[in-house]
Amino acid sequence: MLLEVAEALTPLLIIFVIFQLLFLKLPREVIIRVLSGMLLAFVGLALFLQGVQVGFMPTGTALGEQLGQLQYKWIIVLVGCLLGFVATVAEPAVRILNHEVEKVSGGYIPQRVMLYTLSIGVAVAIGLAMMRIIYGVPLLYILIPGYVLALILMRLSSPTFVSVAFDSGGVATGPMTVTFIVALAVGVAAGTEGRDPLLDGFGMIALAALAPILAVLVLGIIYAQGSAEDESG
Amino acid sequence: MEEIKDIVLEMVQAVLPIAVVVVILMLLLFEQPGDLIARFLVGVVMVTIGLGLFLLGVKVGLLPLGEAIGSELPQRGSLLILVLFTLFIGIAVTVAEPDVRVLAHQVDVVSDGEIAKRTLVTFVAVGVGIFTAVAAARVVLGIPMAYILITGYVAVFILSAFVPPHFVPISFDAGGVTTGPMTVPFILALGVGLTSVLGSKRSLGDSFGFVALASIGPVLAVMILGVIYA
Repeated sequence: MLLEVAEALTPLLIIFVIFQLLFLKLPREVIIRVLSGMLLAFVGLALFLQGVQVGFMPTGTALGEQLGQLQYKWIIVLVGCLLGFVATVAEPAVRILNHEVEKVSGGYIPQRVMLYTLSIGVAVAIGLAMMRIIYGVPLLYILIPGYVLALILMRLSSPTFVSVAFDSGGVATGPMTVTFIVALAVGVAAGTEGRDPLLDGFGMIALAALAPILAVLVLGIIYAQGSAEDESG
Repeated sequence: MEEIKDIVLEMVQAVLPIAVVVVILMLLLFEQPGDLIARFLVGVVMVTIGLGLFLLGVKVGLLPLGEAIGSELPQRGSLLILVLFTLFIGIAVTVAEPDVRVLAHQVDVVSDGEIAKRTLVTFVAVGVGIFTAVAAARVVLGIPMAYILITGYVAVFILSAFVPPHFVPISFDAGGVTTGPMTVPFILALGVGLTSVLGSKRSLGDSFGFVALASIGPVLAVMILGVIYA
């Protein structure tokens, strides 16, 4: 495990050394900062990975399997939506995005609006992902329409929002989502009859990454309409 | 010290609501949930502290490095050097990205070792590296973002016809996962550094494109891995 973490951080260390020797010539204090940063990252990553592998994955998968065996499938979808909503509402990266959107829209889109739009978007995405597992729908059937929708919305949306939108895709895929909820989804696939965890268990992150993009684009359209009205009204 | 407190608070805020929901679910669905809940809570503590420390380390040590590199690179002459180094940086950053490791581990376990963790991480990292380099070249050469994005996505959808079906969700997940707590700030810092030196006439949109491009790379890379498997 520690070897794995060392493996993970070594390339960065190498880059730092190369840059420092060849180009940067940073002062000693900065070097110490960078190295202590890396040490912190090392310890942190080791703890994080351990927590995920020993704590989140087995429990997430177990919970998922339990859910998958439920008689009423809609509960699974509901749980997915709930988890998606809660995870996004609490995600710090989301808060940063909300702030940025409010700034970029000159206050027209307040942070609250952005927060709930995003959280509902991710909730829907994860609910969809659960449905995908239950009914065995191929991922592309949901993903391609999603992307096409994004392209259409891009045309209608304000340009500043478009660049924010595509960079916000990663915002909902935070540590809880990627670790626990994926383990849950895999568990649901394992627990549901006729579903193969390898084939059906993944793909949730892809959907959860698309949701914020669509949410921001939609808000961008509202903003574009709003400012157009202001100008003509 | 203030920073540590901030980050820990942030992490707890992020994790607490969902932890509560999960514990309630476990209580509802299992007859003897004690063991499971205990395990989960231990996991929560370790993940919270671990990620907190990691983010702190990134903030303290690696982001300044990213921005310094970003502003240094363009001054070193050729486009080739810029592209080459951005490639390695992209690889290095992705290999260290916690979310990438977790997904790769999960895939490894579920596929019974058929798709090895190291293989997946390597391919994803190379994918990100190549496209980050492309993104950097784009800023210099002035190619519109849309061209690259559309080409990338078209290539992905074409490839999806040739890979074993279970590779499709994994590839797209790989794309979503690379935009994690480490890669995004680092690449943004890099982009800010680059654009501040290179593209003063360009709009802010340029720094942002990095993240979008860095997401397609891994999807393509894993698709290619899938083709190899086929």
